[in-house]
Amino acid sequence: MEKQHKVLIANRGEIAVRIIQACCKLGLKFVAVYTQEDIHSGHVKLAKELGDENSLYRISSYHDANEILSVADIAEATAIHPGYGFFAEDFRFARRVTERTRPLVFLGPSWRVIRELGDKINTKRIARSLNVPTVPGSDKPIYDESEAEKIARTLFDFQIQQGVKKPLVLVKASAGGGGMGIEEIHDIDLFRSIYRRIRNYAMRQFKDDGVLIEQRITNFNHLEVQIIADRSGKNPVHFGTRNCSIQSTGLQKRIEIAPGFAPETIRYTFDANKVMEDIIEHSLTLARKVNYDSVGTWEWIVTKEGNPFLMEVNTRIQVENGVSAAISRIKGKTGVDLIAEQIRTGLGEPLGYTQKDITFDGIGIEYRIIAEDTEHNFTPWVGDIETFSYKKAPWLSMHTHLPKVSKENPYTIPTEFDPNLALGIVWGTNLENAKQRGKEFLNSLVIAGSNSQGESLKSNIPFLLANTERILKF
Amino acid sequence: MELSKEIQQLTDRLTYIKDIFAGKHQEDINLLETRLNELKECDAQNADEMMKTLEELFNFMEKKLEAKLTPMDKVRIVRHPQRICLKDILENVYDNYTEIGGQDEHTNDPAVLIARAYITRHYGKKTYHQSVMVIGHEKGHGEEFRNGGSAKPWGNAKALHYMQVAETEGIPIHSYIFTPGGDPVEEYPGAAQQIAKNIYEMAGLSVPIVALISEGGSGGAEAFGLADKRLMLSHGYYSVISPEGAAAIEGRLKRGERASAELVERCAKNLHLTAQDNLSFGYIDKIVQEPLLGARPHHYDFFRTLRQEIIRATDEIMLTSNGFSIFNFSKLHRIQNPDTNLDETFVRWHIKRSLRSDLIEERQHKFIRMSRKSYINRQSILGALADTWAEQWREVYNRLVYDIYHRQRKNYQRLREEIEAEWLSFKRKTSKPFKNAYNKVRRIDQVAEEELTTLSKWEDEDSRKKAWTWVSPRAKEDRAVTCTNTATYGCVDLWAPDLYNEFAGVCTNCGHHFKMEYQWFMYNCFDKNSIYEFNNEWEAGNPLNFPTLDERLKEAREKTKLKSACITYEARLDGIRCVVAILAAPFRGGSVGAAEGAKLISAIDRARRKRYPLIIYSHGTAGIRIQEGTHGVIQMPRVTIAVRRYLRAGGLYLVIYDTNSFGGPVASFLGCAHYQFAMRSSNLGFAGPAVIKNTTGIDVPPDHHNCYKALSRGHIQGVWDRRDMRTNLKQALLTMGGRNLYYR
Repeated sequence: MEKQHKVLIANRGEIAVRIIQACCKLGLKFVAVYTQEDIHSGHVKLAKELGDENSLYRISSYHDANEILSVADIAEATAIHPGYGFFAEDFRFARRVTERTRPLVFLGPSWRVIRELGDKINTKRIARSLNVPTVPGSDKPIYDESEAEKIARTLFDFQIQQGVKKPLVLVKASAGGGGMGIEEIHDIDLFRSIYRRIRNYAMRQFKDDGVLIEQRITNFNHLEVQIIADRSGKNPVHFGTRNCSIQSTGLQKRIEIAPGFAPETIRYTFDANKVMEDIIEHSLTLARKVNYDSVGTWEWIVTKEGNPFLMEVNTRIQVENGVSAAISRIKGKTGVDLIAEQIRTGLGEPLGYTQKDITFDGIGIEYRIIAEDTEHNFTPWVGDIETFSYKKAPWLSMHTHLPKVSKENPYTIPTEFDPNLALGIVWGTNLENAKQRGKEFLNSLVIAGSNSQGESLKSNIPFLLANTERILKF
Repeated sequence: MELSKEIQQLTDRLTYIKDIFAGKHQEDINLLETRLNELKECDAQNADEMMKTLEELFNFMEKKLEAKLTPMDKVRIVRHPQRICLKDILENVYDNYTEIGGQDEHTNDPAVLIARAYITRHYGKKTYHQSVMVIGHEKGHGEEFRNGGSAKPWGNAKALHYMQVAETEGIPIHSYIFTPGGDPVEEYPGAAQQIAKNIYEMAGLSVPIVALISEGGSGGAEAFGLADKRLMLSHGYYSVISPEGAAAIEGRLKRGERASAELVERCAKNLHLTAQDNLSFGYIDKIVQEPLLGARPHHYDFFRTLRQEIIRATDEIMLTSNGFSIFNFSKLHRIQNPDTNLDETFVRWHIKRSLRSDLIEERQHKFIRMSRKSYINRQSILGALADTWAEQWREVYNRLVYDIYHRQRKNYQRLREEIEAEWLSFKRKTSKPFKNAYNKVRRIDQVAEEELTTLSKWEDEDSRKKAWTWVSPRAKEDRAVTCTNTATYGCVDLWAPDLYNEFAGVCTNCGHHFKMEYQWFMYNCFDKNSIYEFNNEWEAGNPLNFPTLDERLKEAREKTKLKSACITYEARLDGIRCVVAILAAPFRGGSVGAAEGAKLISAIDRARRKRYPLIIYSHGTAGIRIQEGTHGVIQMPRVTIAVRRYLRAGGLYLVIYDTNSFGGPVASFLGCAHYQFAMRSSNLGFAGPAVIKNTTGIDVPPDHHNCYKALSRGHIQGVWDRRDMRTNLKQALLTMGGRNLYYR
C-alpha cells in the first residue's frame, strides 16, 4: 500500500474490536466511533489504548450517515469499514461513500454488487440464469391472481411427486424482507384469501403488490460458503463451508461449525462431500458472474435428501467469519484473519494466493455467548455483568467487547443493540476432539451478574452445552 | 324640507367628499366646511337664501372634483358606506321583489342576496309583469354582518342554486357584483372549489344573464360575472386584485406590514381598473353613467337610468338570440335608441327552447374572443397558416374517422369475432391428436419442475430497475437535506444525490414530497422522446404597460428559458397520445396572464379536435398575473369555457396539483375539473396564508391548505405519490373520462 490509509470503523462492539485489531496488524491508522450507551464498551477502551488523539469520536447514532461521514472528514479517514449490520449492506451508503466530493474507500463490495445481490429476486434470477439451484417457485413478482394460483397449485403437485408428506407453500411480498409479509399455506383452497391478504399488506407497506410464491422447505440444514475476492473481481477463492443450523426459536444463529458436514465421522443419507463441493462451485460461479470484489457469504439450505438451494448472498463480513478462519491455512500457515484480508484487499492489494494455497484442517465450533433465557423464548436478559471468566487454552480464541468486570466495576448490557456478549471459537483435530474441547470451554466459562430486581444473570451456556452433542448431525 | 334635514344632508355630502378624497383637495373641502358651519350658526331669516347658495356651491365643487377623480378615489367611492347597495337597487329599479335567499342576517351568508323581482311594463292598454331572478352581493351601508360583500363559499353555492332555479323557470338572471373578492375560507366547500363550480355552470346556463359591476374584485366577481351582457357603473372598479393587495405584492411586504398610501394610489392607477379602461379592453359591454362622485341612495334619477339600462340589456339579449326576423330587427333598433322609454315598449322575456343552445354558444364565443391581443405571438405568418391548415384537416379527418368509420366499427368487430371463434374451434379439433401424443412423451412433472426451477421470462424486468429519464440537477450536489418532518417523525437527513434522483424527491421515512422541477413530471411521466411542444412562440407580454414588468419578464425568460408560465405539448403515455399543459412555477410564480390563457385554450381545443385526453399539471401557480389586471382575470371564465366545451364533447380532463396552487386558476379552470389529483405534500386553495392574514386578519394553521384537507373537502379526488405518478396517470387515462376519446 503506497498511500497511508486511515480506516473509520462505522460499527460497535465485538466487530469494532476485531477491525481495530486487524488495522493494527496491517499497520493502518483507524478512527472508532461510539454512542453514549457504549461508553464502557471494550471497543472504546481498545481505541483509547491503540489509537492517537484523533482515533475516537462520540456520535449520536450509528445509523446516521451524515454524522459518520462528518467524523470521517474531520478525522481525515480515507476508508470506511461498516462491519456487520448498520450500513454493511446498504448500497446507497456505499455509493455515497465512494461518490461524494471527498470520496472514501468502502471496505466491502462495490455498491453495484451490493445492489445486485441485495435484491433477492435479482439474486434468484442471476442464479437461475447460471443453473445454480434455487428454491422451487416463482422468480419474479406475480401481480395476477390466477397466475399466482396456478403456480401455487403446481408447487403442491410438485412436492407430492417429490414425496413430501406435508407440502407447504410460502406466499411473500416480493418487496418485503426481514420476515414481514410472509405466510405459509398447507391447503390450496386457502390460497386465494391468503394471497389477497399478503397482496393488500404489501401494497400498504411497500407500495408494490407483487408476491413471490415458493416451496416452503421445513427440514433442512443451513450451510454457508465463505468467499473472498480482491478488487479485480476476477479470482474469487473460498474458505470452506459452515453449518449454522443450531439456532434460537427466533431463527438467530447460536452455534456455527466449520466445515458444513463431517462425512468422515457421521453418516448422511446423501453424499455430503459432493453437496459441499457443489455449493462451493455454484457460489464461486455466481461470484465470478457479478465480479464479486470483497468478502461475502453465500447462504444455502440443504434438504434431508441432499438437495441444496441458494437462499441469499450476504455482501458483508459475518459474525461467524472466525470459525472458518480457524480451520483454514494459507500456504500452510495458521492465523488466518478474514477481516484483515477484507481490509487489505479492499484497499486495493491483490489477493496474493490462489485456491490451491488454501487448505483446511480440523473442525471449528463457534459459540455465541448471550445473556438470555433460553427456556422462555430466548428472552434477552438485561442487567449488570459482574463476573466473566474462562480457562484460556491454545485451541480457544475469544472475541468480546466486554471490558474487565468485577463486582465493584460491573458492565451494564446496553438494550439498544444486538445482544451478543462474546464469541468463543474452539478448534479440534476432529469432530470428537472439537466437541470435547467445546464442552471443556463451556464448563470453564463463568458469567454472572444481577439485574435491578436482584435476579441472577441468565445465560445461554446450558443451551450451548446441550446442543454441542448434536452438532453436524442432520 | 326642514332646514335641519337639509343641513344634515349637506353634512353627509361633505363627509362623503372628505372620505373619498382621503386628505386631498383640502382647500376646497375646507371652504365647504366653513360655509356649512356658517350656515349652521346663522339666524333663520337668511338661512333659506344661504342654503340655496351653499347647495349651488356644493354642486359646483362636486363637478370640479369629479374631474379630478383618480382610480383610487373611485375605489374609495365604491367602498363607501353611502354607496348604493343591492337593496337600494331592488327598492328603486324593480317594481316589487321578494327576498328568497334569506332575510338580513337570517341567512347562511348575508353577503349574498337573492330575490325574485319583477319589472312592470305598459304597452298599449296591457300591463306586463316580467319576472327576473336577482342575485348579487349585499354590502349594505356599513353593517358588519354583511362581511363587506365578501361571499362565503356557501353563499356562492346558494347563488348557483337559484341561478339553476331561474333556468328551470326560464326567467332571466340579473346579477349584481358588489364584492371586494371572495371570502378565502376553506371549509365544506372551499372558496376556490365553489367559485370554479359557479363559473363552470354559468357558462352553460340556458337563460339570459345580465351582470352589473360596481365593485368587481377578482374571483368573487367572476363567480357571478359570466354574463351575456356585462354592464358597469361609471364609478365602479373591476380588477384582478384590490390596489392594497397589489401594493403588498409589489412592495414585497411581509405579513402585517402596510403599504404606503402613495404606493396604493400608484397601483390603482397601474391596474387600469376603471369602467372606462375595461370598456376599452372589451371586457364590459357598456357603462352606466352615475351622478357626480358616484351614486348614492338619494339619486333617484340614477335609478331610473339604471332601470332603463337593465331592461335594455335584457331586451337586447332576448331579441338577438330569438332567431332572425324582421320584427325582431326593428324592435332591436327601437330599443337601442336611448330616447325610447323602455317602460312603454314590450319585449317578451322568453327564449325558444330550440334556440337556447345558441344563446349559450354565443355567450361562450363572446368570452373566447376576448383578450386576444394581450400577449405576444412570435410565430411567423407561415407557421400560423400551417396551424390553421392543420386544424382544417383535423376537422375533415374527424369526420372521416369518427363519424363514418367508427360508426361502422362495431359491425366489423362482431364479424371478426365470429370468424375467429370458428377458426379456433376448428384448429382445436384438428390439432388435438398431435397434442395428446406430445404430452405423453413429455412427463407432466418434468414440465412442472422446469417451470418452478428455471429462469422465467419477465418482460418488465427493466422497469423494476427504476431509472428516471430526467434527474434534477440538484442530484449532483454532495450535501445532506433535512426533511421538514424531522421533528415529528425523526427522519434522518437525506443525501441529495439519493433524494433527488432515485427517491424522486420523496423522504423514505415519512413520505414527505420535496419540491421538484416541472421537468420531472414532463419527462418521467411520458414515453421517451414522445414530447412535441406547440405554440412555444407565444410570449407573455405587458398589456397594461405595468412599470418594471417588462424587465421582470425578461429576467424570467432568461432564468427559465421559457416564454410564458405555460408549456403545452403533446406526448404519449405507454402509447396513449394526450395533450398536456404545465403551469411552471419558476416563471413568475406560474401566474396566468393572457398568453397563458391563450395557450391553455389552444391546447384544450387541440385536445377536443383530436379527441385526446387533456392533462393540466399545475407545477405551482400563484394565481392570476396581477400586473395584467383584467386581461388576466378574464382568463378565468375564458379557459373555463374552453374546458366546458371540451368536457361536453366527451373528453377526459385531469388536473394534477403540485407544490402550491392558489388563486384564480384553482378557482376556475383547474377547480372545475371532474378529476383532480394532488401530489402528496402539495397545498392548494383560494388564497395563500399571507393573503388570508392580510385580508381577514385571521391566522391559519400551517396545514390549512394541505392536499389532504382539500381531499376531505371534496375538492380533489385523490392524493398521489410522485413515484406512482406515471402508473396512476395511465390508470386514469384508461378508466376515467367521457366517451369520445380516440382510443375508446
